Amino acid sequence: MTDHDDIITSVRSGILPAHIYNDADLFAAERESVFAKNWLFLAHESEVPDRGDYVVRQQLGDSFIVSRDESGEIRVMFNMCLHRGMQVCRAEIGNTSHFRCPYHGWTYKNDGALVGVPFFKEAYGGEDELRRSDHSLLPAPAMEIVNGLVFVCLDPDAPPFSSRLGEFRDYLDFYTRPGPDGVEVRGPQRWRLPANWKIGAENFAGDTYHTPHTHLSVSEIGLMSDAKGGKRKGGTMYFAGGGGGATFPLAPGDLPSRLGVIGYTDEMIKRRAETWPVTISALIGKDGQIPSAATIFPNLSFLHLWARVSESQIVPFTTMRLWQPVSEQETEVVSWFVVDKAADEEFKRASYKAYQMCFGPSGMFEQDDMENWSSITRVAGGTMARRLQLNNRMGLRTDDSTIAEPLTNFSGPGAAYGGFGEFNQRRWFDLWCRDLESGPIDTKKTTSYPTSEGDDREHER
Amino acid sequence: MSTSADAGVQYDVGAALSSGDPAHHAAYDFLMAEAQVLDDHDLEQWLDLLCEDVTYRVPVRVTTARGSACDVLGDASHLDEDRYSLGKRIERLRTEHAWAEDPPSRTRHFVTNVRCFATDSPDLLAVTSYLLLFRSRGDARPPDLISGVRSDVLRAQPAGGYRLLRRVVIMDESVLRSQNLAVFL
Repeated sequence: MTDHDDIITSVRSGILPAHIYNDADLFAAERESVFAKNWLFLAHESEVPDRGDYVVRQQLGDSFIVSRDESGEIRVMFNMCLHRGMQVCRAEIGNTSHFRCPYHGWTYKNDGALVGVPFFKEAYGGEDELRRSDHSLLPAPAMEIVNGLVFVCLDPDAPPFSSRLGEFRDYLDFYTRPGPDGVEVRGPQRWRLPANWKIGAENFAGDTYHTPHTHLSVSEIGLMSDAKGGKRKGGTMYFAGGGGGATFPLAPGDLPSRLGVIGYTDEMIKRRAETWPVTISALIGKDGQIPSAATIFPNLSFLHLWARVSESQIVPFTTMRLWQPVSEQETEVVSWFVVDKAADEEFKRASYKAYQMCFGPSGMFEQDDMENWSSITRVAGGTMARRLQLNNRMGLRTDDSTIAEPLTNFSGPGAAYGGFGEFNQRRWFDLWCRDLESGPIDTKKTTSYPTSEGDDREHER
Repeated sequence: MSTSADAGVQYDVGAALSSGDPAHHAAYDFLMAEAQVLDDHDLEQWLDLLCEDVTYRVPVRVTTARGSACDVLGDASHLDEDRYSLGKRIERLRTEHAWAEDPPSRTRHFVTNVRCFATDSPDLLAVTSYLLLFRSRGDARPPDLISGVRSDVLRAQPAGGYRLLRRVVIMDESVLRSQNLAVFL
């Protein structure tokens, strides 16, 4: 039993109480039950290419240093000194061998090991009385790296990321494994959106219904002429394991010709064909469907599209973004440009341009989403929103049967539907209900693992 | 002295001109007129103030330790525009479906601390200015404030007057406190 049983029951029936998009109590529950239990994205390996490189990333109230230590290993450390709690790193990007706390000078190596304590002998009695190896910067309770993407989980007993991700893994490879060298990311751009975090996450999970209307201006100016509603209707929505997304229909052809039309070079197409899972190659080459937006529950989204960057050039691009909650009515969007590491500089430049014309705070698609989502959040905080039930049942009859049957000829993993429907938003909310229902984790558990000596993790109570 | 090369245009920037210099007056007048055009939402007229080979860039600002080589990302930006993409952005805002600016924001571009520098090219003027952009949307929402410094290059036109050849805006915040960047800086 939780305080939110009524909400959970309603959401599971496809009816969303409108106040869930601006509710302080619910947000407190999400912090403990959703964000403290799921795998969260922090950074990509390519952001810290050299030894000593680091970036600092937040997830809710927690600040983490993601560094590449002197042995080349990626480390994720809680950015809080073990002495009096100061943040040992206050820059967001840089290169250093050590982090020195500005407060009293405790100094940690870039793998988290405490190596310097001022007046160690006089103040603490030296190593006999204060074992420095017991005072490393707190590691993330669990960490996994997939395709260079660094994920952490604040619950040391959580199922491994791979089991949570499940069949979505193939789609993750579509976005982040276009060749044996993988991807590199640029950015991120960060901006504060006065909107609830759930709106962006569920939109990217499969709201194909908004494209023809919200983004009509983009097709009117020919930036992406294919974005019109008729085309969108020919796409699909799939949900696979821990994530779901939508696909966009392509003109007749095979894998090379379909990727060629949207701006990939022969060499890039060959690399993709040799690297992608067969499901993805068949989805594009045989079904004529290419993944567009997707979300891994809870708050990491991906997008692949193409745009006209000049009168004569169409270029594809990939982006990845976090809907990082700040409060029930504010979200920091953290948006990265993602590109095939082995692509030439000319392609990378043009692809960045396509990304920026379409997404990010200045993007001609994303500008309009932000206006809508902030408006929803504002009005969801009032008294009337406590009476309003939003319809999340598109694609269902009143007896809960589906208007259309699931696709039987879909080559990608997961269950897929054609046309329009809120199948994915309901699946996304099923996961949200699962976590709210099972409640918070026991945060009394702490974790530690030896630094400088490998990755053996121990849990201790 | 510093050498810059943008979009194939090379120039060396020299000493600051006195605020009494006629070139300084010309640059100042250009910036004041441009601010009014932007705040009047007269975006077609704004396009007419730009050279055909204009470049317009707003790189991503980051927080770095003192002594770090730089605090902007060289390969990531919020805007990195040419005449084509600026024209497309304005064309979009003129459709009936650009929700981001409908109703339109009320903006005020406060442009101050103008400094003008001669270059070794007779038709190019380098100009720096501070920008404070106030942007109000809807009724009671807190307004957006964007603070930054512009580094511009103006090119003299054969028929008289100047046009903007290059603009780089370095913003003072690393996290943009604005739901989007649907207005020009």
